[in-house]
Amino acid sequence: MYLEVRGEKTYAATGGRDFDKSLPTVMFVHGSGLDHRSWALQTRWFAYNGYSVLAPDLPGHSLSGGEALNSIEEMGAWLADFIDASGADKVHAVGHSQGFLDVLELALRAPQKLKSITGIGTAGAIPVNPALIEAAQKSAGAAAEMLLMWGFGPDAQYGISAVPGMQPIAIGREIMARNPLHADLVACAEYKNGSAAAKAIEVPSQMILARKDRLTPLKAGLAFAEELGARVTIIERYGHMLPIEAPRQTLQKLRELIGSLENTD
Amino acid sequence: MSRSSYLKPDTVALHTGYVPEGEYGSRAVPVYQTTSYVFESVSEGSSLFNVEQGGHIYSRISNPTVAVLEQRIAALEGGSGAICTASGMSALFMTFITLCSAGDHIVSATQIYGSTATLLKHTIKRLGIDCSFVPVNDKQALRDAIRDNTKMVFCESIGNPGLEISDIPGISAIAHEFGIPLVVDATFATPCLCRPIDHGADVVVHSVTKWMGGHGVAIGGVVVDGGRFDWQQSGRFPELTEPYAPFHGIRFWEEFGPSALVMKMRAESMRDLGASMSPQNAFLILQGIETLSLRMKQHVSNAKALLGWLQQQDAVTWTNYPELESNTSHRLAATLFPHGAGSMLCFGVTGGRKGGAAFIDALELSSNLANVGDARTLVLHPASTTHSRLTVEDMQAAGISPDMIRVSVGIEDIDDIRADFARGFKAAQRVAGAA
Repeated sequence: MYLEVRGEKTYAATGGRDFDKSLPTVMFVHGSGLDHRSWALQTRWFAYNGYSVLAPDLPGHSLSGGEALNSIEEMGAWLADFIDASGADKVHAVGHSQGFLDVLELALRAPQKLKSITGIGTAGAIPVNPALIEAAQKSAGAAAEMLLMWGFGPDAQYGISAVPGMQPIAIGREIMARNPLHADLVACAEYKNGSAAAKAIEVPSQMILARKDRLTPLKAGLAFAEELGARVTIIERYGHMLPIEAPRQTLQKLRELIGSLENTD
Repeated sequence: MSRSSYLKPDTVALHTGYVPEGEYGSRAVPVYQTTSYVFESVSEGSSLFNVEQGGHIYSRISNPTVAVLEQRIAALEGGSGAICTASGMSALFMTFITLCSAGDHIVSATQIYGSTATLLKHTIKRLGIDCSFVPVNDKQALRDAIRDNTKMVFCESIGNPGLEISDIPGISAIAHEFGIPLVVDATFATPCLCRPIDHGADVVVHSVTKWMGGHGVAIGGVVVDGGRFDWQQSGRFPELTEPYAPFHGIRFWEEFGPSALVMKMRAESMRDLGASMSPQNAFLILQGIETLSLRMKQHVSNAKALLGWLQQQDAVTWTNYPELESNTSHRLAATLFPHGAGSMLCFGVTGGRKGGAAFIDALELSSNLANVGDARTLVLHPASTTHSRLTVEDMQAAGISPDMIRVSVGIEDIDDIRADFARGFKAAQRVAGAA
C-alpha cells in the first residue's frame, strides 16, 4: 500500500492483505540498498495468519519517494513517523542488518511504539570497509556486487534458492543497483548508538544470527545480544542474507517470539 | 563473473543449483521422478499454495531436478531466474502469452526460425495478438513498426538459418525508448558465446534441446528473466503491475520486482498450460551443460576449419557464416561474439536443388535431420523441411534459397567431417555434370 509520510509517497508491503490496524502488527525494516522484497517469504505468512504487516521501502528506495536519509538516527525518527502514518499503535519490529540499527534508534526515540524487537544478521554496530563505501559512491551496481558476494553464504553462491528457479544474488543486485546504497553504507558506518539503545530497550528481544555471516560476523552479533539480553538463535550454513537464504528458519524464529507474545503460536 | 555468484561460468555450469544433499550425498543431481510432494501439515500446504514460502507442490509447476537446471541456466545467462519448459517452442509461446493479451502487438525480426515465424504469424493471431515483421537491424523499420499496443520486440541472437547477427544493443535501446522489453532467442549462441542480457536484452529464450543439451537426447526449453526491465515504469504491463485475481490480487511487480516475470509465468503459464519439462529430461540436459563450454570451443573451431575448406571447393557456390565479410552483420559478430559466432554455417552446392539433395544423400558420417546443436554433425535442406511451410516470398525474406544446405558442425575430428563432405560434393558434381 502507499501512504504519505512527511509529505512523501511511501510504499509499504502488507503481505498481500489489506493493512488492518486492529490486528497485531509486525513491521519489517530492510537492510542497506534493499527493499520490502527481502521479506517476501516472511510477510505473507504473517499477513495470512492473524497479523497485519508493514514492510516499508525507506525513503528514496525502490517504490518509495523522497530522498535517502543520511543517518541511522534520521531513519529511526522516520520509522516513528511511518508507524504514526500507518495508524498502528505498537509494532513488533524486525530489522535485517542496517534495518536493525534503524529499529534500535526507533527504540531510543519512541519506545512506546514497540512490542518486541528482532535483529537478523546484524549487530549493535556495522563497520563498513571504506573501499566499499568508495565503490558505492562511484557505482551502486559495482558495490552491490561486492556486497552480495560477501553477504550471501556458500549455498547461495552455489545457486541454491528457496524459491525454485530463482537466483537470489542476481535479484538482490538488481534491487541494490537502483537504490541509494552509498547513503545507507555511510549511515551504517557512522552509527554509534547501539550500546545506548541496548541499555534503554525493555521489550522482549531476539537476535537471529548466521554462522557464515561475513558482513556482520557472528562474534559481533553475539556480543551485542549479550548487551541487549536478547534470546539468540544461530542458523548454521547460511550467510548475512538470512531472510532470503534461510527463509523458513527465519520465519520460524519470528513466529516463536511474536507468537508467544501474542499467544497465537 | 556470473551475476549470481563469485563462481566463474565454467564452474557454474558444473555446480550451480545443487549441493550434495540428503542421506546419501549424491554427487550427481538426483532425478526427482515424482509428480507431487507431501506437505508436512495442512498449514504448510496452504502456505505453499499461497506463496508464503518457496517449495514444490506439483511437478507441472516445479520440480527439484528441473529447478537445478533453471537456476544453473539463469546463472549462466546472468538472469534473475528461469523457467524450464517442455520445448523451445513452448518457452516462446509462454513468453508471448505472458507478455501479450488479445489486442496486443509484437514486432519481430523477419529472419527467424520457421516454426517461430508460423507461431507469430498464424497461431497467436488466432488469439488476437498481431505481429509485424521487420528486417533485423533495420532500426527505422523497427521504430515505424512499434505501436501503442506493442508489448515486445523479438529477435534471434543468430538468425536461423540465415545466420544474421542481431544488433542486441541497438535493438534494445530502441525498444527501451518506447518502454518495451526485448526478447531474444539465443539458441544458436548459448551463454558461452553471447549473453544477451549483458547487451541489453530483457528476456532470453532457448531451445535447450540444442547445444545446451548437446547430445540429441532430450527436448526442452527455457525462459530467462533478465530482471532489469521496469514493468511499472513501462506502463504497458498491467498483468504484472495490477492485482492478479487468481492469486488473491497479488501484484507481481510489487511483490517480486526483478523476478516478477518468471513468478508470473510459473503462477499462470505453468499452471494453466502445463508445458513442463520432465525431470528425466532436465537431468539429461544438465549432463550436457556440464561440458557446454568445452563442446562450444570445439564446435566453433570445427565450424571455422570446415568453412575455410568449403571456400576452396569447386562444388561450393557460396558460403555463409556470421564472421564472413559477405555476411551483412559480420561487424556485429566481432563485437558480440568474441569467442566465435557459433557452429552453424550454410552454403550453396553446385547443381541447385538436385545437387543439394545428392550431396546430402551421399553423406555417411553426417546426419540428415531436423535438429541442430548435436555433438554430431547435422545437415539439412531448409527449403524442403524446416521452412517448407513458408511462402516463396517469406522464404526469401528469411534468407533461404533453394540450394541452401544448413550445417550444424559437430565435434568429430575435422578430417573426418571434411572427408564426408568431399564424398557429398562428388555426388553433387555428378548431378550437376549430368544436367
